[in-house]
Amino acid sequence: MKIALRVNGVLHEVDVEPRKLLVHVLRELGYKSVRVGCDTATCGACTVLMDGRPVKSCNVLAVQADGAEIYTADYSDEVMEKLRDAFKRHHAAQCGFCTSGMLTTAYYLVRRGVKSEEEVVEGLSGVLCRCTGYQNIVNAVKEVAGL
Amino acid sequence: MKYVGRPIPRVEDELILRGKATYVDDVEIPGMLYAGFVRSPYAHARVLKVDFSDVLKTPGVVAAFGPGDGEPFSFAPGGKVRYQGEAVAMVVARDRYVLYDALEKVAVDYEPLPAVLDINDALRPDAPLVDESLGNNVVHDKVYEGGDPDRALKEADVVVEGRFVIQRIIPSAMEPRGVVAAYDGDVLTIWSSTQVPFDVRKEVARALGLPLSRVRAIQPFVGGAFGSKLLVYPEEVWVATAAYRLKAPVKWVATRSEDFKATTHGRALTLEYKVGASRDGRILAVTGTVYADAGAYYWGEGLADTAAQMLPGPYDIRHGRVRAVAVLTNKTPLSAYRGAGRPEATLFIERIMDHVADVLGMDRVEIRRRNLIRQLPYRNVFGITYDTGDYPTAFERGLERLGYRDLKRWADEEAKRGRIIGVGFSVYVEITTFGYETAVLRAERDGSFTLYTALTPHGQGLATALAQVVADELEIPMESIKVYWGDTAYVGDGIGTMGSRSITAGGSAAVLAARRLKQELAKAAEALLGCRPEYREGVFQCGGRSVSIAEMVKAVYRGKAEAQLTVEAIYHAEPTFPFGVHLAVVELDPETGFVKPLLYESYDDVGVVVNPLLAAGQVMGGALQGIAQALYEEAIYDETGNLVTSNLAFYYVPTAAEAPRYEVYFAEEPHPSKHPTGTKGVGEAATIASTPAVIMAVEDAMRRVKPGVRIDKTPITPEDVWRLLR
Repeated sequence: MKIALRVNGVLHEVDVEPRKLLVHVLRELGYKSVRVGCDTATCGACTVLMDGRPVKSCNVLAVQADGAEIYTADYSDEVMEKLRDAFKRHHAAQCGFCTSGMLTTAYYLVRRGVKSEEEVVEGLSGVLCRCTGYQNIVNAVKEVAGL
Repeated sequence: MKYVGRPIPRVEDELILRGKATYVDDVEIPGMLYAGFVRSPYAHARVLKVDFSDVLKTPGVVAAFGPGDGEPFSFAPGGKVRYQGEAVAMVVARDRYVLYDALEKVAVDYEPLPAVLDINDALRPDAPLVDESLGNNVVHDKVYEGGDPDRALKEADVVVEGRFVIQRIIPSAMEPRGVVAAYDGDVLTIWSSTQVPFDVRKEVARALGLPLSRVRAIQPFVGGAFGSKLLVYPEEVWVATAAYRLKAPVKWVATRSEDFKATTHGRALTLEYKVGASRDGRILAVTGTVYADAGAYYWGEGLADTAAQMLPGPYDIRHGRVRAVAVLTNKTPLSAYRGAGRPEATLFIERIMDHVADVLGMDRVEIRRRNLIRQLPYRNVFGITYDTGDYPTAFERGLERLGYRDLKRWADEEAKRGRIIGVGFSVYVEITTFGYETAVLRAERDGSFTLYTALTPHGQGLATALAQVVADELEIPMESIKVYWGDTAYVGDGIGTMGSRSITAGGSAAVLAARRLKQELAKAAEALLGCRPEYREGVFQCGGRSVSIAEMVKAVYRGKAEAQLTVEAIYHAEPTFPFGVHLAVVELDPETGFVKPLLYESYDDVGVVVNPLLAAGQVMGGALQGIAQALYEEAIYDETGNLVTSNLAFYYVPTAAEAPRYEVYFAEEPHPSKHPTGTKGVGEAATIASTPAVIMAVEDAMRRVKPGVRIDKTPITPEDVWRLLR
């Protein structure tokens, strides 16, 4: 099936099998920051923003994303750059494998105007990190969210 | 401009935070094929027949390999599979979706055999044999002994006996394992999500009969490992062999469910103990047996042995006998998981201290105070020599800094309001650093330096830490140093990042390389300047004249002076011993048995701290892994050997919602190791210390509900807590 999706502002038209997952289409288009860490929609490493909301792209068929606006961790704007800077200063990334999912989720939380540490923690709890123990990630997001 | 000791953000982050870090699944080569494995659904079975006739007719399938293909493929060795998830065949196809359809078409005839899953069953004389050639299931049995434990037990005022069971852990690095191999007719290149590219290269070269010079192993960015990627796995050899035979690039990346079975598990040690103590709380003798549930192949050599040899911990115990036994079972092979024997030793001895304190009616701080080693260096009863430290002072300062007594008082206050808080602590000494490590340092024409390390960082931030130590040695800005790692084309051999050894072994190699390179350049500078120069901040000077490193390097290339511009240092490192006190605070809901970690604090003497920002990162992440061992995680098999916790939906890796608040402290006056960096290592400290601290905290909370209750296993799940309180 032919579908069209806009990724980080760039329009892509692709021909996909109906069973193909969005995560695989994005990776084949070169958006390697979208990572696969599980097969049960648990780890969240593949989290992207689809029409403004975070989705686990391993749990979305590519055909469901027809016409959608997608943002990945490669995206750059003021908020994303602030998050990158805060992640770096807070040492919020170690192995880096979950970092894309953390960044896209954090971007959503900041844009939505997250109000408290509890909301940050709850918001990030859909992305697993095995390295950091989470505190530095939570602190980085809080800082950018002005908390 | 000293860099060591400063909390410098990582130089690696730029790639990671822009999504540009290349992990093995991001390696793309034109014409690449995809490999996958048919894995046994049985824990123990004879493989009667593997039939590829259907799969080879499938469009897009390129090749299939099975038990009939011989070495270096090694499917179903001895005609059987020994654990659920063991590979019996490999299929190579043009596309991942085609591949996974094709894997279903491989017909395998199995004859299921009785499986043995529990070490007690495995030790019975009539137990099914995991490896028939052994005659029983005991694959390793060794006794460590010192002093006169029998006499000491006889003379003891009290003898305390017990058993403590540590569960199987699935390491769960966020990136599953994967391999890409490509053969261009000249060089075989392997990219692997590994901690040991040098071992991968050696093993692939050996398996295929190729010279080392024509095999190159590359460690791309690796998404976590925690010891689960420090073996050469069969898949690395098989994918390389397929690429070599097919003369095409081949990629295999495990799915999570596949990784949970095909990547080694950790912990799974049980201690049966008998200790003797005097009435005033001195531990006189520690004896017992450590059993390792080794799984289907004995890949995790030394785990029970490390736990046995480090069992005395930071305590002055003069008599001991501990047997280390490894038992084969029909489960995924056991190997290293962050700490690899030391977390188990620490959890065991800390539980023993609490048990003896309970029997004597003694305070848990006091019993440790009375047994701590007073004088370093110290040779423990099993012959391991702890190098430097001042344990009594660090213990008292640590408890003070962490606010142990205040927190206990606060818990008492909260109890009056009906809130059940538990406070626990742990003391540890651990052994880090072994073997050699290699650094190659090159002076460039513009005065910058390129460092190639044999270390294999996968999240630790070693490119930053190495740049710090080398910049200090060369007295230059750290931006002038670029660190490369993970490629056997850069460095001939090395070991890699594991065992908290990196900055000590690899950092010291880098420091030595920098020292030698300075000496080389000084020789050339002397020839150029006509006098014996002094070196300061990138400049050689004497007799009122000076020459910069950039000018020196250019002079060497022009033939005006002679010097080695590339220096290799191979550093042989002796073990060193970090020490610390950690503390955990938890809240208990006695109605549900649910335990919430609230606070985690650490106070460590790890020698020189090169980068406190990165060191604290190691502590926090390590702590959560140890907390998860105490409270959440366990690999569970059913009675047929089916892994029930077969993916992240059923195996509980903690999320941000479970994480406590952390406070990380390092000793104000650390005791450096004798290595050039003065470091001792920090990668595993908190994984080692956190489980016993949390277990003590949970027990403390539970005793507010039911006095005298004792925890004798990990994890202690809400159900366990609830049952113990009934």
